[in-house]
Amino acid sequence: MKIHLKTFILLGVLAMLSLGLNSYAQDNTAKFKLKPGAYGKLCLDCHPGFQDKLKKQHVHTPVKNGNCSGCHNPHTSAFSKLLESDASKICASCHKTLVVANPLSVHKPVADGACMKCHDPHSSVNKNNLLKTGNELCLECHKSLADTLAKIKVKHNPVEKGCLNCHDPHASAKDDSLLKERVTALCIGCHKTDRPSFIKQHMNYPVATSRCTSCHDPHGSDRKGILYNNVHKPVSTRMCNQCHEEATSGTPLKIKREGAELCRGCHSDMFNATFGKKRMHSPLLSKKGCLTCHNPHAAKEKGLLKESPLVLCGSCHADTIKRQAKSVTKHEPVKNGNCVACHDPHASDSALLAKQASVVDLCASCHDWMKHSTHPIGDKFVDPRNKNATLNCLSCHRSHGTEYKGMMPFPAISDLCTQCHEQFRR
Amino acid sequence: MRSFVLWSLFVLTTLYPLGCYGADALKLRYLATILGDIKETGLKKPEGVACDDQGLIVIADTENGRLVRYVLQDNTLKGGTEIKVQEVVFPVRVQLNSKGNIFVLDGQLRKVAQLTPEGAFAGYLTPQGVNPPLVVPKSFKLDGRDNVYLLDIGGERVLQLDPSGKLLSQIPFPKNYGAISDLALTSGGDVLILDSAKSTVYIAKKENPQFTPFTKGLQDYLNFATNMLTTTRSADIYLMDQDGGAIVILGPDGLFKGRQLAMGWRNGQLYYPQQMCINKNGDVVIADRGNSRVQIFENLK
Repeated sequence: MKIHLKTFILLGVLAMLSLGLNSYAQDNTAKFKLKPGAYGKLCLDCHPGFQDKLKKQHVHTPVKNGNCSGCHNPHTSAFSKLLESDASKICASCHKTLVVANPLSVHKPVADGACMKCHDPHSSVNKNNLLKTGNELCLECHKSLADTLAKIKVKHNPVEKGCLNCHDPHASAKDDSLLKERVTALCIGCHKTDRPSFIKQHMNYPVATSRCTSCHDPHGSDRKGILYNNVHKPVSTRMCNQCHEEATSGTPLKIKREGAELCRGCHSDMFNATFGKKRMHSPLLSKKGCLTCHNPHAAKEKGLLKESPLVLCGSCHADTIKRQAKSVTKHEPVKNGNCVACHDPHASDSALLAKQASVVDLCASCHDWMKHSTHPIGDKFVDPRNKNATLNCLSCHRSHGTEYKGMMPFPAISDLCTQCHEQFRR
Repeated sequence: MRSFVLWSLFVLTTLYPLGCYGADALKLRYLATILGDIKETGLKKPEGVACDDQGLIVIADTENGRLVRYVLQDNTLKGGTEIKVQEVVFPVRVQLNSKGNIFVLDGQLRKVAQLTPEGAFAGYLTPQGVNPPLVVPKSFKLDGRDNVYLLDIGGERVLQLDPSGKLLSQIPFPKNYGAISDLALTSGGDVLILDSAKSTVYIAKKENPQFTPFTKGLQDYLNFATNMLTTTRSADIYLMDQDGGAIVILGPDGLFKGRQLAMGWRNGQLYYPQQMCINKNGDVVIADRGNSRVQIFENLK
């Protein structure tokens, strides 16, 4: 009886599937009033090249079933390639569950609906209709990572084997950067934290629940233990107890002092210079203090910066970065993210944390031509527009750029000059 | 029928302009510039300014380490006397209380000093009963009862203190904030804070004092706002767009309402402006830091 029931259910499922496929085909046949036997063959009469595509190992199911009209309209369409809907949406009409609910990170091509950046919609020699296999596909876009991976001395084995060891190519509900699990959970899947060598390497501190990427570069680095290339001295000298309580204490990971006070212990010269200034960068005075911009353990960037200066400074001063991006003439320090060429990131006596009180002196540190040939500028020359101001470089230019040539605030040079030289205004 | 059409036309032509009036509550015309004190010592990068209903204007002449006091009456400026006390070295923001006392935030000492109406130092405002005790004031405002609302970026909170400095309440900053740089009080007793980095204003309602986002998508309308103002005469909120050299006006619902003034060096233009105040006539006074001057605009609305 049991065998009969199973067979009955199996036959029922098969019959339903067959009916479903059949009715789908019949639906399309009816929809387009196809001649008998034309379904799945008619398109190939004019697109013979598809015969080769059909021979590849991996063929997209609608293509395999001859259901070209599953994606294309054979008559007319408002979209390119006679697609039934926008190319950025058509894949999601079937592949609805690729992006998990409440994702913490989504791969940009997925968010943009640019599935064809990775997949061939018809067929491929690679599994999942991928355009290329393995890391080759990922590194085609992630070029800077490709460059880094080619240069680094200490490689992380899973990276060599494939990006998908740690990352989900579509989306992740677990962590940012498309990670398959939260950072620590992902790492301890391979690195057993109870092994004596692991415990010894971490100076007996219970780091099993700490975020591994605060010290280690998961893609590899030039340093042993794939530590980031820039390591805070107490970490490199294994003097964790300079900042944290002893490993044997009840609260071993607790820091000895709160906020910037902890950093002051070693960086007293910097603190004395900074706190003696009239204007301080607000993040330094915030609760997070130094850690607003710096990593306490190790970092890719020099000075243990959390990100490259352009990204880090731009995370608050987005308008300034945006202005530079739109500027016709680029100011080299801003373009290169060298904000500290002109601004002191900690403190200054000058407005906007300028490194020098005199704008002319500041600009002259790069633009030395102004010392021998220039429009009158400097403390002796009062701005005709405002007797409290003297003429300097910023009387005519905006240092982060404008939509006009030469970082000038007006479209025509005559507009600028006649601001002061009113007698020449037409 | 004819009279109905005429009546409708009359209503439309008279009420439509009034509707426009309501939609743009600030329309500024340049009135005057303050370049220095009575002795013609020029202002140097002034960052703060406060007004009262008697026409008093107190300027934080920041890089000269002093205050300068003027009176504006019938569109005429009088006075220009200097107030200099050794307890205030780097004044950045100013407020006046109901008794005419001057409150000054010293940006270098990171303390709020109290001065008498005559300009004599009366002591620092010392928050009492605050936990954790470390307070780093970035800005402050006074309410109608002379209570002080202190923006404490060190403690990530707004402290409400009575005039003697005793803690009345504290509201923590919202999670994942960017860089909070100013606060303001609505006439209904709500507290607003300005996140310059995220171009967002957060509100803590009087009946439910925890900060939630009040505005959305403001980055489309401003560059980098560092100062915020509300007045008792209007429910609008004014943001000073430092990097854009303009005032951005929000309605009481937090929606963008308009933008006034522009960046530049000539009279009527602003260059990295800071604090602003509005007097009883609706005149707007702005500390035009980058141009080392204070400018006064009359409100045509």
